[in-house]
Amino acid sequence: MSLDPRTASQIVDACAAAIVVLGIGLAATRSIGRSIWLVAIQSALTGVAALGVGLATGAGHLLIGGLLAIVVKGLVVPLVLGSILRRSAVRRERHPLIGPRTSLVAAVAIVFAASVAADGAFVGASVAASRGLPAAIAEVLTGLLIVMTRRKALSLIVGLLVFENGIALTAFSLTYGMPLVVELGVLFDLLIAVVVAWVYARRMLDVLGSTSTDRLRNLRG
Amino acid sequence: MTELLVALIVAAPTIAGLVAWFADDRRASRLAGGGLVTALAAGLLLAARVFVEGPLRAFGGQVVVDALGAYVVVLVLAVAAIAVAGSPGHLAHERAAGLLRPHDTGRYYALLLLFAAGLAAVPLLDNLGLVWIGIEATTIVSALLVGFARTPAAIEAAWKYLILGSIGIGFALLGTLLLYASSVGALGETSDALDWTRLMEIAPRLDPGLVRLAFLFALAGYGTKAGLVPFHTWLPDAHSQAPSPISALLSGAALAVALYALARFHLVTAAALGSAFSSTLLVVFGLLSLAVALPFIVAQGDIKRLLAYSSIEHLGLATLALGFGGHLALLGLSLHLISHGLAKSTAFLAAGRLVAERGSRRIGRLAGSLARSPADGRALVVAALVLAGLPPSGVFAAEVAILLGGVQAGWGLAAGAAAAILALAVAGLLFHVMRVSVGPAGRPGPIPEPGPAAGRWAFLLGVPLTAVVVAGLWTPSPLAAVLEQVALVLGGGRG
Repeated sequence: MSLDPRTASQIVDACAAAIVVLGIGLAATRSIGRSIWLVAIQSALTGVAALGVGLATGAGHLLIGGLLAIVVKGLVVPLVLGSILRRSAVRRERHPLIGPRTSLVAAVAIVFAASVAADGAFVGASVAASRGLPAAIAEVLTGLLIVMTRRKALSLIVGLLVFENGIALTAFSLTYGMPLVVELGVLFDLLIAVVVAWVYARRMLDVLGSTSTDRLRNLRG
Repeated sequence: MTELLVALIVAAPTIAGLVAWFADDRRASRLAGGGLVTALAAGLLLAARVFVEGPLRAFGGQVVVDALGAYVVVLVLAVAAIAVAGSPGHLAHERAAGLLRPHDTGRYYALLLLFAAGLAAVPLLDNLGLVWIGIEATTIVSALLVGFARTPAAIEAAWKYLILGSIGIGFALLGTLLLYASSVGALGETSDALDWTRLMEIAPRLDPGLVRLAFLFALAGYGTKAGLVPFHTWLPDAHSQAPSPISALLSGAALAVALYALARFHLVTAAALGSAFSSTLLVVFGLLSLAVALPFIVAQGDIKRLLAYSSIEHLGLATLALGFGGHLALLGLSLHLISHGLAKSTAFLAAGRLVAERGSRRIGRLAGSLARSPADGRALVVAALVLAGLPPSGVFAAEVAILLGGVQAGWGLAAGAAAAILALAVAGLLFHVMRVSVGPAGRPGPIPEPGPAAGRWAFLLGVPLTAVVVAGLWTPSPLAAVLEQVALVLGGGRG
């Protein structure tokens, strides 16, 4: 099965646009449950973008990588996060360092800055590059914004996933992704990292009685 | 033959670790010891071949071992062996204090061995994407070890380590991606475009703008793992809260592996752009790390945090040496890596025992250690003096070589500033050593001696320390030849 490059490019564009919009939504929401859903859809869309590039170029490793991304990041990881959420009493990000409105403004500013910065930056890059790259940079920065401003363990994991989606999109945009063994390794590492984060979130519940990282402020100096 | 040795280095600890997960206490520690001794023996054989015959390739070119890689592998496995040998004592104390759950011993050894196997695998790999995967995997495994004690402080340290480590390592992945993209114009979309041997060959044809960006991301990413300021904030927490043998492995080996990855990026960048760009950045971040670690060393009240900040100082110095370049500075760097690894790991083991015995990490509470716990007290004092850079020791000789090499290479001002900071750090460390060693011995500790027999323990701490001290007085010619070859590779040559 193959796809003509123009259709592929449209798929990637549509995914990139949706990813950016979801990123803004992620920065603006306080509900942890909703942010898990949003990041699941966003992750699945990075997988779809990979499939689009893969079908257009016949790069088989992107097909495998894309399908696995959809299954692992779009399905397995959100289910794991959801199971922590059900055990936890924390459902909302009540006291983020900056409020949802400021986050919204910051996320939109990031998107504009990224599109200006990446405009024409890598002219020699591959098919999807032209419009995938600004979205990718915006997602990396949005992920950082979420990690830096949230306090609940689950919100931080969601932020890391957004950050990672940005990196994955960068990979498809700059080149046709990385060699398959590298992509699989990256995905496997991500899965294990989320499982370990899950282990620690559970321990926080057991030992500290909450998944709020406010209680993790004793080590200094 | 090469294949077999490489397989043993990675597979022996991995398999022993997986089996140890299910084993009882006694078997788990034997398995761990056996797995690591096998790997270390294979590592030494492999290194011997590399140093005699030159770089080796195996597994269809996926594995490439040059002098630098072989050296780091041996360093990792040696430090891991020290950590494994120090573990029964640590676990016995934890058990006596009621902190271990029934299956914890097996899991502890399993994670420790997987951590060591991952660290040993990284310097063997040719593909920088696989190098990244290896380092990320060690981050995840060691995060489980940092929080092994399940205390609130350990959970906090592990959580910070996991989150900051993941972001840092994400930047390193971006750097790796950009480097890959920089080669597409020259190589096309081939799977060997991330092999550092290939990248070194075609360096002049890489896209310079992308290489520059790639190095910046790699510096932030692997710099986070190596504890470079300002990416270091997780390090004092993680290295101080981890079980002491794990602290030894984190400080003595994991930091060196992160520096190794950074060095490969630096070499490719220097070959592509000339050395000015990446060297300057390394010198700046090296100096910054030295300067920021200093006040935390001087004013430190917690013995394990003191050792952790000393690691930031020493990795800053190593980064500085890498940036200086020049044969003498790089020779110093080679000697520094192994001297710091051995001294820091013994220091953490000795400190861990004193902390367990006194029930406190406060330096003030450890007073009189020389009188009350002579073996551990002496080891900690000697190790601290070595780490302070006092002569004679490998660390001292390395520091002199690095600073003189810096002056030779035209970095006089930076070398002078580093010398001043190191001198102040000596004063700070001496002050802490005084506080730990003299003073009232107090009542005898509650749990002085579960674990290995005193003689074996003194041997465990004594041998590496003696080696580091002697290395400052006399370098046997084979070791000198090894250091020469490692410095050659660090200078961009083929070892």
